[in-house]
Amino acid sequence: MKVNNVILQFTTKIVFFIIFFFAVHIFFAGHYTPGGGFVGGLVTASAIVLLLVAFDLKTVRSLLPINYIYMVAIGLLIALGTAAIAMFLDEPFFTHFFDYFYLPLFGKTSLHTAALFDFGVYLVVVGVTMTIIQTIGEDE
Amino acid sequence: MSFQILLNVFLAFLLMFLTSNYTPSGFVIGYILGLISIIVLRNFFKSRLYITRVWAVIKLIILFIKELILANISVLLLVLKPKLQMQPAFFKYDTQLKSDWEITLLSNLITLTPGTVVVHVSDDSKSLFIHVIDSNDIDETIDSIKNSFEKAILEVSRS
Repeated sequence: MKVNNVILQFTTKIVFFIIFFFAVHIFFAGHYTPGGGFVGGLVTASAIVLLLVAFDLKTVRSLLPINYIYMVAIGLLIALGTAAIAMFLDEPFFTHFFDYFYLPLFGKTSLHTAALFDFGVYLVVVGVTMTIIQTIGEDE
Repeated sequence: MSFQILLNVFLAFLLMFLTSNYTPSGFVIGYILGLISIIVLRNFFKSRLYITRVWAVIKLIILFIKELILANISVLLLVLKPKLQMQPAFFKYDTQLKSDWEITLLSNLITLTPGTVVVHVSDDSKSLFIHVIDSNDIDETIDSIKNSFEKAILEVSRS
C-alpha cells in the first residue's frame, strides 16, 4: 500500500539543507569550540538518513552515487597521510603544522593540518554509518 | 517573480559598478533604486510585482500568530471546563491548493492552531483528513480555514 507522504517529503527537502549546513559549521568549529570531525560526520549521516526515511533506498542511491566503503578507505588514507607528512620533514610522526595565510574572501586565516586529519575522520564516520544503515536497510 | 528578484539584484550591482561603491550600503542603495525602477515598469512583466507577494507572506505570518494566540486561548477554556462536553470527530476537507509546498504549509498551519490536527493527505492530494476536538461546529471550522489560511496562501501563490 502506497501512502501519500507529501508533508514529510516536502519538509525533508527543506530541512536537509539546514542539517547539512549545521554539519559543516560544527566541523569547522571543532578547533576552538565543541564540534569536530566525529560530530560533523554523524550529523551529515543523519541528514542522509532523513532522506532515506522520507524517500527510499533507490532514490537516495541515484542522488548520491557514492560507494561508502571507498569513502572509508579515502578517509583513512587522508588521516594517515596527514600524520605522515611530518616524517618527511625530520619531525616525529603526527607533528602538526600551522601558519597564517591571506585568503581571498576570508582575510587572515590560520590553516592547520589538524583540519585535514579531521576531514579524514569525517569521511570515515560518514562512510561507516551509511554502510551500516544501508546494509541493514537493503536486507530482503 | 524570481526573474524580478534576479533583475533587482543585477540592477543593484550595476549601480555599485557605476558609482564604484563596493560596500553593503552601496548595494542597499542600488537595490532600492532598482525596486523603484521595477515598480515604474510594472506593466511589462508577465507576473505581478514580487513586492506584493512579499507583503502577502508578511500578512500570512501575522495572521498565523493571531490565530495561534486565539486558538490557544479557546483550548485553555476547554481544558478548564469542569464538564467535558466536546465530541471529537474526523472530517474530510477538500482543498483547492495544488502544489506540494502549499499543501504542506496549509497542513502545518492547521495542525499548529490547536483544536484541529491533520492526520492524512489523500492519495491525489485533493483533500485533507482533519481531526477536530469539538464536532459541534465543524462547518464553522471549515469556513474559518477556507476564509483565513487558504485565502492567504492563494494570495501568496497567485502569479
